[in-house]
Amino acid sequence: MHAIRNLRFCDKECLCLYVCPTGATDTESGQIDFKKCIGCGMCVRTCRSHALTLAPDNFPVQQPKTAEMCDSIMEIAKQKVEAEAVCKALKENADSPVERQLMEAMEISFRRQTEDLYREAGYMLPQSANVRKMLIGMLNSNDMSFPKDKALKLVEMLQRQER
Amino acid sequence: MSKYKCAICGFIYDEAKGIPEAGIAPGTRFNELPDNWVCPLCGSPKSEFELMAEDEAPSERKKIEPVSLEPTSNAIAATIPAGEGEDRMREMTFGEMADMCSNLQRGCEKQYLYEEAGLFKDLSDYYRSKAEPAADPTDAKLLALINDNLSKYDDANADTKNDRGAKRVLLWSEKVMKILQSLMERYGAEGEKMIENTNVYVCDICGFIYIGDNPPDICPICKVPSLKLLKVERRQ
Repeated sequence: MHAIRNLRFCDKECLCLYVCPTGATDTESGQIDFKKCIGCGMCVRTCRSHALTLAPDNFPVQQPKTAEMCDSIMEIAKQKVEAEAVCKALKENADSPVERQLMEAMEISFRRQTEDLYREAGYMLPQSANVRKMLIGMLNSNDMSFPKDKALKLVEMLQRQER
Repeated sequence: MSKYKCAICGFIYDEAKGIPEAGIAPGTRFNELPDNWVCPLCGSPKSEFELMAEDEAPSERKKIEPVSLEPTSNAIAATIPAGEGEDRMREMTFGEMADMCSNLQRGCEKQYLYEEAGLFKDLSDYYRSKAEPAADPTDAKLLALINDNLSKYDDANADTKNDRGAKRVLLWSEKVMKILQSLMERYGAEGEKMIENTNVYVCDICGFIYIGDNPPDICPICKVPSLKLLKVERRQ
């Protein structure tokens, strides 16, 4: 485990500085120095603005999902993606601001639903084995404009932490 | 006097009480409410309301079966055949990959992994730029897609067996789809005056859309506080 700070909540009372045994909470960037943090959790307990939490270094094996269930969920998601594209086109072609506003809302709605469906079809944790396989699959793209360096960087950064 | 319950968000219309603050006097029968009356909490049409049985008892708490936190590695191996990610990816369109990557972007943001989130965003943008635009888009086509999508939920629910997370996402997204269906039907009948003088909000968690001056305190579908109900601006 290591501590992590949500800067939106941090109101700079800085009690974390009093209790950190390694000086990991004192940085110029505002984030914890992960190299120094030993995961003792003292800063988390002393922070009154709830800006600090402990993040795991490794994650448990994700809940198994049957292929049948994933197929069903993916099929529903596929159609929502189609609907999202229709909303996007209607938004771009709209003559009136009101129509544009409604179609933008619908486009966002479909995207949020689709993302949520993917989470429950085995793609919730970015560090999971499923996501890693997907990223490796992306690297097989033949399209010259595919940002391979970015996919590769993600494979490196999201070391397989699900065990 | 009877009570009617909204099947989408659970709001109860009590004929004996009416809704005086909305000009509906106590004793007003559900049937006497105008046809275009909608649920004050979530905006669902009258057709989503169900008559409640007299003295309907609160639903009994279901017994929860314990879930093993550490499934055996064999069980995992059986559910993830070798190369599964790549196989599934090959079947996915660019549009689907775009939403898959934005999902993972949000998954990284939650963990404050901002650099990783940015990389997933770039991948999502790449796939979105490659996605085919919709062929002859119309409101009618959108409504047809919504109706067809709603017809798939019974089968999907049957396939989820005891997966609590899957049942949860299907319940929420089916409710959201019913809201979108009624909004498109109302939009077809009423036109722009449906939203001309008010605001539009989208729930950033479940996709619920609310038409009204101010968002409800919590999302009627996923119950997230209103700070996650984002206002969609009207741009010229």
